[in-house]
Amino acid sequence: MIFNSVAFILFFVVTLLLYYCLPLKYRWWWIIATGVFFYCYANPVYIIVPLFIATVTYIAALQMQKAATEKKATSIYLLAIITNIGLLVFFKYTNFFTNTFIDVFNLFNSSNVKVSNPFLLNIAAPLGISYITFQAIGYLIEIKKGNHEAEKHLGHFTAYLLFFPKIIAGPVERAHNFLPQLKAIKPLQYDDISIGIKQFIWGLFKKLVVADRLSIYVNAVYNNYEHHSGITLLVTAIFYLFQMYADFSGYTDMALGLARMMGFNLTQNFNRPLFAKSITEFWRKWHISLSTWFADYFYNPIAIKKRDWGKWSIVYASFTTFIVLGFWHGANWTFIIFGAMHGLLLSIEFFTRKSRKDFRKKIPAWFNSITGIAFTCGYFALSLIFFRADTVTEALNILRKIITLEGRFFLVDPPTLLLSLVVIGIMYLIEFKKEFFNSAFTFSENNNWLVRSLFYSFLLIMILLTGVFDGGQFIYFQF
Amino acid sequence: MCAFLLIVIFFDLVIGKVMAHFYFKQISGWEYFTRYAIEETKADLLIFGASRAQKQHIPAIFEDSTNIDSYNVGKDDVSILYSYALLKSVLKRYTPKVIILDFENKGFVQSAVSYEVLSCLLPFYKTHPELKETIEMRSPFEKYKLLSSIYPYNSLIIKIIAGNTTFYTKGKKEDKGYIPLDGKLNRSPYVVNLSTPNFEIDSVKVEQYQLFINDCKKRNIKLFIVRSPYYFKTIGLDSSISLAKTIAAKNNIDFLDYSTNELFLKSPQLFNDTIHVNTTGATIFSAMLASDIKKRLANK
Repeated sequence: MIFNSVAFILFFVVTLLLYYCLPLKYRWWWIIATGVFFYCYANPVYIIVPLFIATVTYIAALQMQKAATEKKATSIYLLAIITNIGLLVFFKYTNFFTNTFIDVFNLFNSSNVKVSNPFLLNIAAPLGISYITFQAIGYLIEIKKGNHEAEKHLGHFTAYLLFFPKIIAGPVERAHNFLPQLKAIKPLQYDDISIGIKQFIWGLFKKLVVADRLSIYVNAVYNNYEHHSGITLLVTAIFYLFQMYADFSGYTDMALGLARMMGFNLTQNFNRPLFAKSITEFWRKWHISLSTWFADYFYNPIAIKKRDWGKWSIVYASFTTFIVLGFWHGANWTFIIFGAMHGLLLSIEFFTRKSRKDFRKKIPAWFNSITGIAFTCGYFALSLIFFRADTVTEALNILRKIITLEGRFFLVDPPTLLLSLVVIGIMYLIEFKKEFFNSAFTFSENNNWLVRSLFYSFLLIMILLTGVFDGGQFIYFQF
Repeated sequence: MCAFLLIVIFFDLVIGKVMAHFYFKQISGWEYFTRYAIEETKADLLIFGASRAQKQHIPAIFEDSTNIDSYNVGKDDVSILYSYALLKSVLKRYTPKVIILDFENKGFVQSAVSYEVLSCLLPFYKTHPELKETIEMRSPFEKYKLLSSIYPYNSLIIKIIAGNTTFYTKGKKEDKGYIPLDGKLNRSPYVVNLSTPNFEIDSVKVEQYQLFINDCKKRNIKLFIVRSPYYFKTIGLDSSISLAKTIAAKNNIDFLDYSTNELFLKSPQLFNDTIHVNTTGATIFSAMLASDIKKRLANK
């Protein structure tokens, strides 16, 4: 059930009405019930997995705190972490590991008969398993560090993991941000509904008008990339950058808007990353909840542990973190290369930060901004070729074609292409204004209700006029 | 909040009216043919089907050969669902004498796209009750979405602007629905296995195909179901084709199969791509089919 479907809108309206009709102290119960329903709508069997994760993590956290010795606490902690990672690996990475093992075996197998993978699992990963396990692991680490108290209410903890707006695509919400809000649950407030609806509309605009519009051209080209020219693939790679951003940030905005309507403030996941002037800055603005999760629980511990290596500890930590982060996105070498590309550039930026700073002083600020933004977006678009491709060979073939820029431009449906350019322009202008001229005249936050209403009416009219209502599937759904 | 909703409703009504006005005033372009086919054509010979109908059958050649006023009502990506809806609209106004239905490989395949492309009928939902049933096949929520005045014109703004100007030169009234293709292939044909991958038959499509035949028979329209040329050799059996042939045979309808015509299989220069002939190919094929139909009409 994706957020931009009519079925979901009906589900949410009923959910919200009943949520505010229930007494405050029972609302956690309704959050679990709706989360279970949302989960079962996709596949009823898999509800066992998040419920199991919630129970194991809840018990482990309490037992860790009660443990008489540090050694016992560590054992419980490791067992819970291994259980969470084990489930993630089992559902998401079993086929990758066994396929890789069989491929290596076949490589050294001298006989002509190649062995097929006897361990191949024909099962889909439970919905949002990567997000649920990461939230559970983050919670366990915080308890182990002693930064927070273990949650004593199983219902509250289950509600935290099963809160449906964040099941599909996050954000990777921290327990210490969510649970206090759940306990201090408040009555219906006009601001929550109003702000939530606005954020939902903005997300819906990005998803239906921009992302799904661009996906028509992108899918047409990438699904048959071998028949397309270098110039077509270059334009498609740029379109995919905007599609990816509009799709993911749009969906997150919708999630944040839904949560806000229910009285919850979830973590902002995007801060206009397309205006980042370096890859380092980019990852502070893109999928913020995931990158901070990795920074806190992966990058920093590695960098601290290897601090004897000096600057090389940063390179090691960057590479390891981004390879794992890439792998988190999917069980494929393409995602590992995607991560490695970012680890590489982050390391280069780290080593050159002083020389770049000196150079920046010699050039005008506006020129530095333009070149920085263009380079960052270009590099991210390049890495997304690996993100999108099914195999490394496919990605390399696309890159080879782009470098040669041979052939004619694919212009099969001019209206779709023209509309794609127009909607990219509208989204980019709105974000450009917010990024660089936020204090100037604002439409979305204007004091005059008529101006605000006209702005959001414009977005809704654009959705009706140019949104894609068929066949749009959220790209991050698979993670 | 109420004021905001009123503003949205106001703009929806006003913009919806403007879109409707310009949609129905188009003089050329992608959507012009759809409107003309539903509301205006009085041609006695109509060609139904998807892009292979639209780009392979030249009405002017049929007119020259058969002396019957012809019009091509084919449209990109559509299936029998659209063709039957269109037939219902046509039959509400008049009865053509001859109908050619271009049937594609995997014509009965279960596919969400076949239902999605029915969106081209949305502007007619309120004015053409005979199309309601087909439009509502898109989803159980379609009738609620259509409460909006803008929604029927969703994604059409550029096409409507083009259709009201001379911006898009293809698709004018004098083309009579035919859209020419100019490309040329220069390689030998692939071999395509029609039996793979396996696919589910959409029973709704089969039912609509049967209804298409029934309606033609009821009105004494001479129906010819045609498989036009492809530029690939085939192995295996496409269950859609065998089912379509069986139903046609049961109803005494001619099923004319040109899909593996030797002349076309040996002539890549007659194709724009493997599934569409170019203008030269369309001229030759239309003349061939028109001559065949003329003979069959004379014998009936």
